Amino acid sequence: MTNPLEDKSFRWLFDAADAMLIADSGGSIRLANPAAERLFGHTQAEFEAINIEDLIPQRFRAKHAHDRADYKGYPRGRVMGAGLELCGLRRDGSEFAADVSLSPIGEGITLATVHDVSARRHAERTVIDQAALLELTHDAILVRDMDDRISYWNRGAEERYGWMRQEALGEVAHALLHTEFPLPLEELRTDLLRDGRWEGEVIHTRHDGTKVQMASRWALVRATDGTPKAVLEINSDVTARRRAEKRQVQLIEALKSANEELQNFAYVVSHDLKAPLRAIGSLSDWLVSDYADKLDDQGREYLGLLKSRVIRMDALIDGILQHSRVGRVHEALVPVDVNALVREIIDLLAPPPHIRVIVETALPTLKAERTRIQQVFQNLISNAIKYLDKPEGSIRIGCIDDGAMWRFSIADNGPGIEARHFERIFQLFQTLAPKDRVESSGVGLALVKKIVELYGGQVWLESEVGQGSTFFFTLPKQ
Amino acid sequence: MKNPAKPILLVEDDQIDAMTVRRALKELHVTNPLVHVENGEEALAYLRDATNSVPCLILLDLNMPVMNGIEFLQADKIDPILKRIPVVVLTTSEEQRDKVASFDLGVAGYMCKPVDYRQFVETIRTIDAYWTVSEQPE
Repeated sequence: MTNPLEDKSFRWLFDAADAMLIADSGGSIRLANPAAERLFGHTQAEFEAINIEDLIPQRFRAKHAHDRADYKGYPRGRVMGAGLELCGLRRDGSEFAADVSLSPIGEGITLATVHDVSARRHAERTVIDQAALLELTHDAILVRDMDDRISYWNRGAEERYGWMRQEALGEVAHALLHTEFPLPLEELRTDLLRDGRWEGEVIHTRHDGTKVQMASRWALVRATDGTPKAVLEINSDVTARRRAEKRQVQLIEALKSANEELQNFAYVVSHDLKAPLRAIGSLSDWLVSDYADKLDDQGREYLGLLKSRVIRMDALIDGILQHSRVGRVHEALVPVDVNALVREIIDLLAPPPHIRVIVETALPTLKAERTRIQQVFQNLISNAIKYLDKPEGSIRIGCIDDGAMWRFSIADNGPGIEARHFERIFQLFQTLAPKDRVESSGVGLALVKKIVELYGGQVWLESEVGQGSTFFFTLPKQ
Repeated sequence: MKNPAKPILLVEDDQIDAMTVRRALKELHVTNPLVHVENGEEALAYLRDATNSVPCLILLDLNMPVMNGIEFLQADKIDPILKRIPVVVLTTSEEQRDKVASFDLGVAGYMCKPVDYRQFVETIRTIDAYWTVSEQPE
């Protein structure tokens, strides 16, 4: 009997990249090539000292020995990948997934080629894990072939649409879901084939007949030769989001029209109030002039008070009109040179000689509605002048660069304002002094706040009672 | 007024505003007859009636029932004869859009009614002084 191992033709074994072992019918290893040494970590001498079962984990050994005895009766070749998938055991005790093919080479001698398939097994595991992840998502995921027949249907799809996987598989997707497309289906298919993907919103009808708005993303799956094979479709339910968006738009519209109505209301009411007010003013004037001889001092005083209240109410109505005009009536945005504007305002307000108004820094040029910027400065400066109670009055105007904003300040050495009034003074018709003493409509600061906030800025103040107040406001540079 | 024989047409729905104008004119010794109508429609009817004498000036309120001042101007200013009669708006409205609409329709002036009667008289005095000096077509 010739020992096949001594055959020169087996020398190629030593150069093979795959791990190869030659074992006899008793399971003794007769030869292992260098690749096998590397794979299992045994030396040639160690291989020769152990049995083939020593190369697999303990738990598989009994079955393997039994299978090997069985194989002995019907020795036949088995090709790689046909799947006798085993677990290999390395010398260091670690295990690896192995794919083994066997070739009988006579005399009960078998050549085993061992492939480490750990990497492939890992990849397969990953695919299974990833498929499980698809089950976790709330999105409805389906795969359909090029005839639109469903070949995959995840749990999200079951939950979204109400058909179980076994009911959906094989159905034509668009027919099952009564898909309403934003464009003709043919156009979508053309886009999909050209770009490999498509996304848009579609409407699907569920099993129970209700419709759902879906954000749908399609990806074309190609075979290795590039021919389109399937379409992966991921659908997210946006019904609630779209409904909320629609509701939001409706609310904004309602708010807008309510606001508009309110502004028109202020405008119309103010105008309608003016006519009777003017009538009262005129009539009281005529009473004084036409019935002078019939009125005593008290009668004239009463009519004088009546007239002064008419003038106050007229100022109030003008205030409401001014206030309602901000944001309702739009002027052109023009470059406003604040330096020049502030000088004009100071001239216009003509402060008394004991009050000095100083512009401390250069003031910027803003792109804004001129009237609005003028109203802001005029109200703040005229307030400072009006309430100044010191023999040497000083009003200082400045501006600093505050990043995206300009921060203006108007500081006075007047009576100051208690901190508890800081909020109140910016409200419409709120004043701190009785109107008989200081003629004030309570509109000025409310107007300042409305204008500044409309432009995206803020207004606030710092003040110390007895020392003075500084009003700050910001306006965006752009 | 340059020609004291021609009437002044006052288009005004508020009785006391009308009284105010009448009183102010009297106080200023303006002797032109004052024709008072209460809205734009009545004003057009007056102007289109050939038996009425043509006014030298129209004092026009804007906010009126039936036909407001702007609607009146739209009809008045496309009429080849009527459009030559100067119209001075006399209103409560300080709204930009009312001013723009009025001047777009060719008004000769725009006055806001002061709430104080003395100032009202001054306004009327100014209108009278201007139309005493200004020429206008026959």
